[in-house]
Amino acid sequence: MINIFKMDFHRFKTNKMIYILLLIFFAFQIFGIYMLKTYEQPGENGGMLISTMNESQFIQVIMAQTPSWMLVYIAVFSVYFYMSEYSSGFYKNYIAMKNARMYSVLSKILITGLFTLFMFIVMFIADMIGRSIFFDHAALGDGGYLAKLLIGQFLLHWAFSIVILCISIISKSLIASIVVGFVLSLNVLGMVISALESLVGQVNLSSFLLVNTIVSPRDFHHINDLIHVAGVAIVFILLFSFIAVRYKIKEDLR
Amino acid sequence: MSEAIIEVSQLTKQFKSKTAVHKANFKICRGEIFGLIGQNGAGKSTLLKMIGGLMYPTSGEIKLFNRTVKDSHPYFERIGILIEHAGLFPHYNAYENLDLIAISYGLTSREEHINKLLKLVGLDASNKSKVKNYSMGMKQRLGIAAALIGSPDVLILDEPINGLDPQGISEIRRMILELNKAGMTIIISSHILEELSKVATQYAILHQGEVIEHHSREQLLLQCEDRIEIEVEKASSAVPILEQHLNINHYKVISEHVVYIYDSHIENQHIIKSLVENGVTVHSITKHKQSLEQYYFLARTGSEGDSHD
Ligand SMILES: Nc1ncnc2c1ncn2[C@@H]1O[C@H](COP(=O)(O)OP(=O)(O)O)[C@@H](O)[C@H]1O
Ligand SMILES: [Mg+2]
Repeated sequence: MINIFKMDFHRFKTNKMIYILLLIFFAFQIFGIYMLKTYEQPGENGGMLISTMNESQFIQVIMAQTPSWMLVYIAVFSVYFYMSEYSSGFYKNYIAMKNARMYSVLSKILITGLFTLFMFIVMFIADMIGRSIFFDHAALGDGGYLAKLLIGQFLLHWAFSIVILCISIISKSLIASIVVGFVLSLNVLGMVISALESLVGQVNLSSFLLVNTIVSPRDFHHINDLIHVAGVAIVFILLFSFIAVRYKIKEDLR
Repeated sequence: MSEAIIEVSQLTKQFKSKTAVHKANFKICRGEIFGLIGQNGAGKSTLLKMIGGLMYPTSGEIKLFNRTVKDSHPYFERIGILIEHAGLFPHYNAYENLDLIAISYGLTSREEHINKLLKLVGLDASNKSKVKNYSMGMKQRLGIAAALIGSPDVLILDEPINGLDPQGISEIRRMILELNKAGMTIIISSHILEELSKVATQYAILHQGEVIEHHSREQLLLQCEDRIEIEVEKASSAVPILEQHLNINHYKVISEHVVYIYDSHIENQHIIKSLVENGVTVHSITKHKQSLEQYYFLARTGSEGDSHD
């Protein structure tokens, strides 16, 4: 396992694409903050001005927007990292080793987690810089709350990257996986199911959907919200990791 | 020396509507160069992928190093593969590609090992150009180096000479013989028998997923020797005449009525005369000359005839 992860990590750190993605994300994040400043209307966001928000509140406002650009970047990376190996056939060089099929998927899961972590770091830095430039303040607010929010959202985003990885593994198609990733980032599924639920009433399945959980603001002071977020993230992480590994173990490779 | 290290029995691979490999049986012994011959679509790659651990058989069994293989198995680690295209990242150079594989194998002195392999396959270690700019021949050679990273006991090369120029072909041949001399067992596939005849020691002909013939090099060459085929009333009464009257020692009784004679210096008329004079009825006599390619072609069409019955 460790060797295959080292190999993937080596590819991760020597790949320019990753730095370019992070850089573009950083630039757009700053640009997004500038746009928020330019078009800020008093009375929006439940009456709260962005200029008076702390970092936690700010993150929640940004994350509630769809498409979630963060998710789009994560989807692009996950698909790219997997498909570039798959379509080059590079896996043929090591995949017949003992348990290599399982390790190869687990290692990809760790790598997408790493990328997600970098995205969060870049987002945080961009927020700090952008807010201090355009809003003249970059208050963090309650540190504990912010930490809970970041960890919760990180797990949810990581789970999303695993869902996309799983889709790439099964579909074996770059285009299809990216399209699905984009559609999911728009939370189309969440909106459709919420709409259906409002017709039926009583059921509330949609709040357990991954992307819906990501884009719905929560109060991380509340234990229920915490459990909800952590539960959804962990269930999705485990479920899709399991599906991806199972599929890879059974797969006939080209 | 003749310890079987790969043994497949009744090996079958069924894709949705297509049987790519059908009940294949053969053994490969240590130190052999095993040639797998078959047209495009015969099932060579599929067969090799099952042996190399990329695909799972639908039924049948594979034994590697005397152990029956199930799923992910450490015995696959002793097999280096180059099946269909070399699996290389196009945006990395040769060294970077091999380095990644070496990391996955957990090798320690990677640089030394990689430079040695690059030298072995005749690639310049200082060449920093990306693999996507490589010629077909360079990619194949790099693919062989990649297959050799784990210092395997068995090397599987699927059509390694495809698309190479004559010089590239002879270089790869030289490399195969060199590796084999150093003790490596090699499986090599091709759709051209002539290509393999120069290196392989064992041959299997695969046609529409079935192994239709399996020979040693000697047997194969024997099949293709010049010979006289005679068809007589009774082979058993013809044999003593051939031996005593014509001094023929190099012959083979094929069936009740057919005898092959490999002493080609003897005239047809001579044979007929002696046989008839001694009361053996001759139905036909033909001189038979066959190239490897003709033989291979006949083997294929023969099996096609059978399967249409
Ligand atoms: N993954 C696959 N799915 C369906 N059919 C396949 C697959 N791989 C190979 N085949 C079919 O199996 C047959 C044998 O293919 P292959 O093993 O590639 O032959 P060869 O290597 O001898 O040219 C072909 O008819 C091919 O179309
Ligand atoms: Mg093939």
